[in-house]
Amino acid sequence: EDPVGTGAVEDGYDYSKGDFVEHACRYCGIHNPACVARCNVPSCRKWFCNSRGNTSGSHIVNHLVRAKHKEVCLHKDSPLGETILECYNCGCRNVFLLGFISAKAENVVVLLCREPCLSVNALKDMNWDLSQWCPLIDDRCFLSWLVKVPSEQEQLRARQISAQQINKVEELWKTNPDASLEDLEKPGVDDEPQPVVLKYEDAYQYQNVFAPLIKLEADYDKMMKESQSKDNVTVRWDIGLNKKRVAYFVFPKEDNELRLVPGDELRLRYPGDSSHPTWQSVGHVIKLTAQEEVALELRASQGVPTELNVGFSVDFVWKSTSFDRMQGAMKTFAVDETSVSGYIYHHLLGHEVEHQIIRNTLPRRFGAPGLPELNASQVLAVKSVLQKPVSLIQGPPGTGKTVTSAAIVYHMAKQGQGQVLVCAPSNVAVDQLAEKISSTGLKVVRLCAKSREAVSSPVEHLTLHYQVRHLDTSEKSELHKLQQLKDEQGELSSSDEKKYKALKRATEREILQSADVICCTCVGAGDPRLSNFRFRQVLIDESTQATEPECLIPLVLGVKQVVLVGDHCQLGPVIMCKKAARAGLAQSLFERLVILGVKPFRLQVQYRMHPCLSEFPSNCFYEGTLQNGVTVNERQSSGIDFPWPVPNRPMFFYVQMGQEEISASGTSYLNRTEAANVEKIVTTFLRSGVVPSQIGVITPYEGQRAYIVNYMARNGSLRQQLYKEIEVASVDSFQGREKDYIILSCVRSNEHQGIGFLNDPRRLNVALTRARYGIVILGNPKVLSKQPLWNSLLTHYKEHECLVEGPLNNLKQSMVQFQKPKKIYN
Amino acid sequence: NVEVRQKVMNVDPKEQEDFDRELKALLQESLESRKSEARSRLPLNMMVPMNVLEGSKDSRATESESGEETVDEEGGNAGGSSKVRVKVLMKKGHKQQTRQMLIPADSSIVQSTKQQEAAELEE
Ligand SMILES: [Zn+2]
Ligand SMILES: [Zn+2]
Ligand SMILES: [Zn+2]
Repeated sequence: EDPVGTGAVEDGYDYSKGDFVEHACRYCGIHNPACVARCNVPSCRKWFCNSRGNTSGSHIVNHLVRAKHKEVCLHKDSPLGETILECYNCGCRNVFLLGFISAKAENVVVLLCREPCLSVNALKDMNWDLSQWCPLIDDRCFLSWLVKVPSEQEQLRARQISAQQINKVEELWKTNPDASLEDLEKPGVDDEPQPVVLKYEDAYQYQNVFAPLIKLEADYDKMMKESQSKDNVTVRWDIGLNKKRVAYFVFPKEDNELRLVPGDELRLRYPGDSSHPTWQSVGHVIKLTAQEEVALELRASQGVPTELNVGFSVDFVWKSTSFDRMQGAMKTFAVDETSVSGYIYHHLLGHEVEHQIIRNTLPRRFGAPGLPELNASQVLAVKSVLQKPVSLIQGPPGTGKTVTSAAIVYHMAKQGQGQVLVCAPSNVAVDQLAEKISSTGLKVVRLCAKSREAVSSPVEHLTLHYQVRHLDTSEKSELHKLQQLKDEQGELSSSDEKKYKALKRATEREILQSADVICCTCVGAGDPRLSNFRFRQVLIDESTQATEPECLIPLVLGVKQVVLVGDHCQLGPVIMCKKAARAGLAQSLFERLVILGVKPFRLQVQYRMHPCLSEFPSNCFYEGTLQNGVTVNERQSSGIDFPWPVPNRPMFFYVQMGQEEISASGTSYLNRTEAANVEKIVTTFLRSGVVPSQIGVITPYEGQRAYIVNYMARNGSLRQQLYKEIEVASVDSFQGREKDYIILSCVRSNEHQGIGFLNDPRRLNVALTRARYGIVILGNPKVLSKQPLWNSLLTHYKEHECLVEGPLNNLKQSMVQFQKPKKIYN
Repeated sequence: NVEVRQKVMNVDPKEQEDFDRELKALLQESLESRKSEARSRLPLNMMVPMNVLEGSKDSRATESESGEETVDEEGGNAGGSSKVRVKVLMKKGHKQQTRQMLIPADSSIVQSTKQQEAAELEE
């Protein structure tokens, strides 16, 4: 018998050719249909067998666990036929939750999920025996009567794969889903990429180093996003103001690595049934509601199955745009000698260059109209920047770097060197800066990506797409007429569409040309609509959160004077691909220039934190140079009756001994005791007169973030709505933001392992500098004190009698012993 | 037949520990993610459809034939332990259907049914 036609040998299967059979186990090659199952994740769809080989779990279970995939389909020639395993009652396909139950009377079995179906009381009254639920995955294997374990013979003839090889190939599949085990042996796969260096011979060498790193990151990003497909999505329909269809649905983010953001492109699909045809359309995310619902504006206007609500599927549509633009910028940097000035070219590559001064007549005063008065260090910053072709401005938390940047841009624009380009890696930062600059009276245009035009923006009136629509021209203008027609009908005839596009392009160009300042994200600077523009002066805010190639995009448009604003003592760019991060892609241009000896100009007066709160960060991260621009009185929370252990010192470290647990993807953590105490603290704040919008809960771990949100929703003793309004976020996502009161949950608490994320001093800096009025830190001093920086933080709190334990209404100083710090952090 | 020496199962304890940790994490996370789901909104579609189950003469039983064949053929492999024929109830789209399978008599799901039956007889 040769069920798959591979050319039979004696015992029925030709194992050596196993890899050529579609349903062969991707680890070992076994392809007996009764013994294999297919991973049902759309981007994966690989087959695996149910034998253990040399590993602790069977191959299929191994794959599901290592890849965090959770759905499985059986082979068409298996006893159950081609079947996606799912809960008979609710359709849940997570095999880790599924198990069989049998009917009390008949010889009938059925798959049922453990949560919630198994615990639904109503089921107990029916004819099912719920007490004997037996899991689908037992002893790290699928039930062998459902997916057979290959015979001893079959196993011995199969490829012998080790656990290490499995881990490696799973890692490889994340970037190259078609890779085979043989690829593991090929040179290059396991090689670490060439790391970044401080100095480069020329822009070609620069490109040779960075291009592969960007490629790695792009491949990883693509893999990550395309594996996020979801089935069984329930949709509700709406119509936007622009008459476009908007679909609302929950896109569960089980894997904590991917966060949808407005502007992302998704594909919504309906697989079709007896009375509805197959349908699909792509659309852009226009917002995320507070209930974590996604609003997707569809491109299709006709044929949308709005009469249906269930059974939809959603895929992520990955775009290479941002990575392409980085690669493009590096190429331009190398081949086009007018892309940046000679001085900047050599400076960026780390070459020794003769000091240069820009001879400009300096303004009489360095402030700008519409902005708050500048302090001494801000004035000095503006002054020094205006005279230098390359400058770095370091803005510690709350030191007014947006105002300083706006003042710099104002004076640059007044120098008559042409338009100024202002960028930042994030849309939020660009919006903030655009608003500030616009308040000086300069003509600002905020250029948004086409995919974000439907996303609401606090500076809508400054955006290019808004200005195009509201250009103050006569009602009869052709563009307006066509626009109206398009809005009403949804589309135009092809000749009208052509005319419309040409007119729109011309208008966009006109508006852009008449601006003093153009603001966009770094990636946005690569927008084709700017391709014919040249910018001699460029300011990049938050530049320490951008990768070098990202920073390069706005620079290669002819820059002669560049200002990089940021803070290398706070968190850098997020790099998802570990290999690329290890090779140094996470180091920003700002940071490299600092290491090369460029001294950043530091803003020194902070206007955010209560002086008690700024003391430790100032000493620890900024050599004690941070001065307070706010007084204790200005940060006194009058009328708030909160049990601070030391009155007038609104901070404490709340000693927690609860255990950490692994959560989410197996790479994240949570801590139940801390979560419970976070809720108590939040409740106490609320009772004492603080409103939800004043409170921020931050934690380094996504697992804990999700857990706290859930915990407060279920266990909060005050009105539900109050807890819903409280922002619970990761430390990283809170960079650049502030709240009156911050509660920091550290999570990590174990005897032997490390403290992971908390090890990064920059993350600690960010966490400690978000609060204006008060901060509460929850953590385990025994564990944290092993790390020198945490040790000194704990010592600081102890010395001020702010290291406490016990119930909130009766906090007592803690006598917990610290451990000796292990090594000095470099 | 070729004689091959018995394979020695050699699982690295560290690997096993690592694997178990990840497996546990997945389980725990899966449970957590579902616990928040509102139980009240849960549909109940668990009535045992008697018409689908009744008699193998029923026309629907033909659907299960291909499945049966595979089972019977493979039946010899498992070392002679006796098997019980069960019907697995599934939904294809919104249609209920069953597939027959042979399950080893000593598997826990069968055991539990037997105990149940025995208990009911005693009553
Ligand atoms: Zn998979
Ligand atoms: Zn296998
Ligand atoms: Zn269920």
